[in-house]
Amino acid sequence: MRGHGQLLGLYVPGRSLLHRTPLALKALLCVGASTPVVLIRQPLTTAAGLVLFLLLMTVGARLPLRKVLGALVPALPVLALLALYSWFTRGPEAAFVVPGGIAVCILAARLLTVTTPGQELLDGLVRLVRPLRRLGADPERFALALSIMVRSIPYLVGSLSDLRDAAKARGLQRSPRAVVVPVVVNAVAYAQATGQALAARGLGEHSDADDEAGEGVDGEDSPDADGRGV
Amino acid sequence: MIRFTDASVTAPADDGGSRTILHPVTLELGEHRISVIGANGSGKSTLLKLINGLTLPTSGSVSVDGLDTARRGTEVRRKVGFVFTDPLSQLVMPTGREDVELSLRGRIRRADERRTAGMRVLESYGIGHLADRSIYDLSGGERQLLAIAVVAAVEPAVLIADEPTTLLDLRNEHTIRAVLRGLPQQVIFTTHNLSFAQDSDRTLVLDGGRVVFDGDPAEAVAFYQELCLR
Amino acid sequence: MSQAHPSSSGAAVASRRRARKRWNSTDLSLIAVFAALIAALAIVPGIPVGALGVPITLQTLGVMLAGVVLGPGRGGAAVGLYVLAGLAGLPIFSGFRGGLAVLAGPSAGYLIAFPLAAMLAGFLAAALLRRTRRFRAGVLFIACFTASLLLIHPLGITGLVVNGGLSVGDAIAADAVYLPGDVIKNLLAAGIAAAVHRAFPRLLPRTGAAGPGHGGTEGAARTA
Repeated sequence: MRGHGQLLGLYVPGRSLLHRTPLALKALLCVGASTPVVLIRQPLTTAAGLVLFLLLMTVGARLPLRKVLGALVPALPVLALLALYSWFTRGPEAAFVVPGGIAVCILAARLLTVTTPGQELLDGLVRLVRPLRRLGADPERFALALSIMVRSIPYLVGSLSDLRDAAKARGLQRSPRAVVVPVVVNAVAYAQATGQALAARGLGEHSDADDEAGEGVDGEDSPDADGRGV
Repeated sequence: MIRFTDASVTAPADDGGSRTILHPVTLELGEHRISVIGANGSGKSTLLKLINGLTLPTSGSVSVDGLDTARRGTEVRRKVGFVFTDPLSQLVMPTGREDVELSLRGRIRRADERRTAGMRVLESYGIGHLADRSIYDLSGGERQLLAIAVVAAVEPAVLIADEPTTLLDLRNEHTIRAVLRGLPQQVIFTTHNLSFAQDSDRTLVLDGGRVVFDGDPAEAVAFYQELCLR
Repeated sequence: MSQAHPSSSGAAVASRRRARKRWNSTDLSLIAVFAALIAALAIVPGIPVGALGVPITLQTLGVMLAGVVLGPGRGGAAVGLYVLAGLAGLPIFSGFRGGLAVLAGPSAGYLIAFPLAAMLAGFLAAALLRRTRRFRAGVLFIACFTASLLLIHPLGITGLVVNGGLSVGDAIAADAVYLPGDVIKNLLAAGIAAAVHRAFPRLLPRTGAAGPGHGGTEGAARTA
């Protein structure tokens, strides 16, 4: 459960202009500015996009250039391969435009995650879902599912590495099955316990009053019970 | 008002037949504080779970303020909060602040208002200073206080507590008892502690899945002690 | 989005009258926890292979597991939740990546295919297991592998062509590198899912997307 902050942790605290810009505006800017770069694929737009986002991140968000370029490092092998491939099949222009467009998008996405706390990003996602309410979406339950998911990741990562150690101790380190089966079985049991805990507070259930609900919360499967063969 | 009408619970047994967990019972529970005592396996927890629909009756029915738990389970669970014996199976979020805000989600839309209200709830239980501490770093008593706080934060009309002091030391037990005594809601709890059981307006004694005594707490305790010696 | 897919869930034991059951809080937390499981499997170290270095991780294993363990409705929702949270910026895609940028990258097609593949695998698993109870793991493998051949690879190839600028032939070749790993992962997913179904016999919805009325072999789908 600890390390929960770390997961939402691309955020770099600050008080720059971009840190203070509302999320909706930033998102619009990032999507609005990177989409044409990807669609048009001309050297000029790609170059403009790269310059724009480098400036936004260094000046607008006051991040050191090293940190900004660092965002591209994990993608470098793929970008380099794409550049080589494009050069050989379609010439130098494509070798700049194809990986360049992807780099612009990486910078744009990083701009959002670096200047916005993770929880705010998730709240933003929920706000995006809100208009879909008329189509039967339920933003509150979506938000609840998101927060349970975020809280469960560190738990499951921990349980994966614990069981990896346990499998090693029994000489089973080469059998992924021996590691993953208990993780998934634990995950199901854990999900059912969490479901009970939510139900005990009247949370997580749809809000239509006319619907029959209930059953199934109890009488859930227990690991001991074997199915009745038919 | 909680009403049991010939409600019974049976579970499939290993031999293919069925096992009765709770024999048909008809009850009206309207008192402010009701305690339930009985040996392990006497059906206490099942009786409690029937009230908020975590368990559904195999025959007969249970209703809360006229709402049938089988058909209007969602609404019933909004009215009836359930506190588990083990607070760790109740708390869903990594810190108390997040957990109480989860409870408030349905009623308070704005994140900043939710934050203030959440803090107020925690402070009213004397655990405001623990708001950002991991729930795993809390003592058993602090955890149980938090569990009661997050369940009560949903503002249920009825609060059910299944052996809320069993895992606690004497000092913490007194704190939890004082908190439960101070709640404005109808409170129904099970316990093995006979002085805690007498701290109520009405006591049910269960034995082998039947309600064998129903009435004055002092008489109920005397009856139960007699029963245990037999 | 949590209600986008109607689910005729079999989470309840002996199913009572209801024709279409909405997800309760246990369904909701199964969806959330499986989304987290995919994330956990995706961020433990993987092996980068292939021309574009798209790392082979256990991510796709998690996707298939969600489908065949939870069934098409909840499984699809779990994978959808995972993808959305990653696109919103949580670093939970393989290699700790996250954010909308992934949609512009060469592996975008795979990502878009994931929720669909989980739904198809779950649907096939539920439908096939309703007819036969033998060779459970084999049946589950067929469900996973079909979904991966019909959805993950074609959409993945499309992504390589559209975003990576590869020619169709080259894209197919780049994608084919992942096939052997995929077979292994689908075999794994099938074996794991069969074991999980033994532990939780009633987890997979009894009647996939077909709804009630198909109950000729009631219970068959959920026996171990």
